[in-house]
Amino acid sequence: MPAGDSDLDEFFVHGVSDGLPVVPPTRARVSRAVHASGRDAGELIAEVPPNYGRATVEKIAVNAVMAGCRPEYLPVVIAAVEAICDPAFDLHGVSATTNAPTPLVVINGPVRSKLDINCGAGVFGPGWRANATIGRAVRLVCVNLGGARPGVVSMSTFAHPGRYTYCIGEHEEVSPWPSLAVEHGFALEDSTVALLAADSPITVYDQRSRTAPDVLATIARSLGVVENHKMTHWGDTLVVLGPEHARTIGDEGWDKPRIRRFLWERLQRPVYELVPGRDGGDGLPEHVLRKFPRPETDTTLIPKFREPDNLKIVVAGGTAGRFSAVIAGWTFARGSRLVMRKIATL
Amino acid sequence: MSDDYLDPTDSVAVPRKTAPRPASLDGKVITLLDISKAKGDHLLDRLEALLRERARPKSIVRKRKPTFARPAPDDLRHEIVGATDVLVEGLAD
Repeated sequence: MPAGDSDLDEFFVHGVSDGLPVVPPTRARVSRAVHASGRDAGELIAEVPPNYGRATVEKIAVNAVMAGCRPEYLPVVIAAVEAICDPAFDLHGVSATTNAPTPLVVINGPVRSKLDINCGAGVFGPGWRANATIGRAVRLVCVNLGGARPGVVSMSTFAHPGRYTYCIGEHEEVSPWPSLAVEHGFALEDSTVALLAADSPITVYDQRSRTAPDVLATIARSLGVVENHKMTHWGDTLVVLGPEHARTIGDEGWDKPRIRRFLWERLQRPVYELVPGRDGGDGLPEHVLRKFPRPETDTTLIPKFREPDNLKIVVAGGTAGRFSAVIAGWTFARGSRLVMRKIATL
Repeated sequence: MSDDYLDPTDSVAVPRKTAPRPASLDGKVITLLDISKAKGDHLLDRLEALLRERARPKSIVRKRKPTFARPAPDDLRHEIVGATDVLVEGLAD
């Protein structure tokens, strides 16, 4: 691609931008990023669905440079690309669906402070280069190597603003519990990424609850409406507890398994409330309804989430404010799951 | 050092072309692939009826993907490629 007078416009003409101007990927910039990863430029990391473009270290570096990444962010971007290309993530579906998911990067471990990744106030918002550009690099890889161009391959009706960038750190320092990474078997000194095919965050406002069951009852109500109020058997979904809510729950001695169990049990509804045409035309699919001779009166409980472990819990955000957030995954039968990878640090 | 920019795409990945369309469906094996979206069977039932009414295919075969959320499994794709002249992949909802 030759540099010209209107060099920034060129990237729009070629369709390789996300709609914002990009940093021109000169050979020097890309080389610095490749060097910072400590890997060979030609090493193949993954093939990116649905077009299966080859994500070599250099190709990932080109996209990371364009996104505005500093060279030392590249190991994080590489780990994130590995994760989204794991078949369990189902990037083919995530990139093509009419739903709105996009890869959310959740970062754990020492790399958060090393790279100045925001875990605190305004965690989902602007202002931190690492969060902004790592998330953006993942999006550019999906477009430029995966082919996820809007309206061409990516047929999402709405998409959501997280498709520009979507990257947070867990606020481990104020969490009463083991981090997401430690819960999933990584060591404290490991740095990791967790990738979720994520909808936008739904903020949960609860200023008055002062007990664990009260806070969690409020959060359960917001979890109950993800996708729609009658969606059932949903999969991996993120519960982002704000530090104040986390403290209220943690001070009572509740651990994460107990929180998950509490939420999961509250999020079951009787069949008769889930029949299509009652309180909305959507509802249980036909193959489930067939199991019940009289669904209109059947009181069998159907879970909103398949298992308690589908509720993934992190603590993030500023230390002032009694808020949490819930973020639905894209988890139809055999659909996307949360995928974690260790970040290879030098 | 060159000022040229490196390509963020994979030039090896080429856009797929659509298969040539047959001039007639007469004598052809037609596969109707249900992707497992709700009411996909309603759509394909109607399509099958119309095909039988308006054309003279050799046969109409019905197949189903295990889930709409993922690509068709390789064995299903190979089975279809080896045994069909025309494929219609059905959606609905």
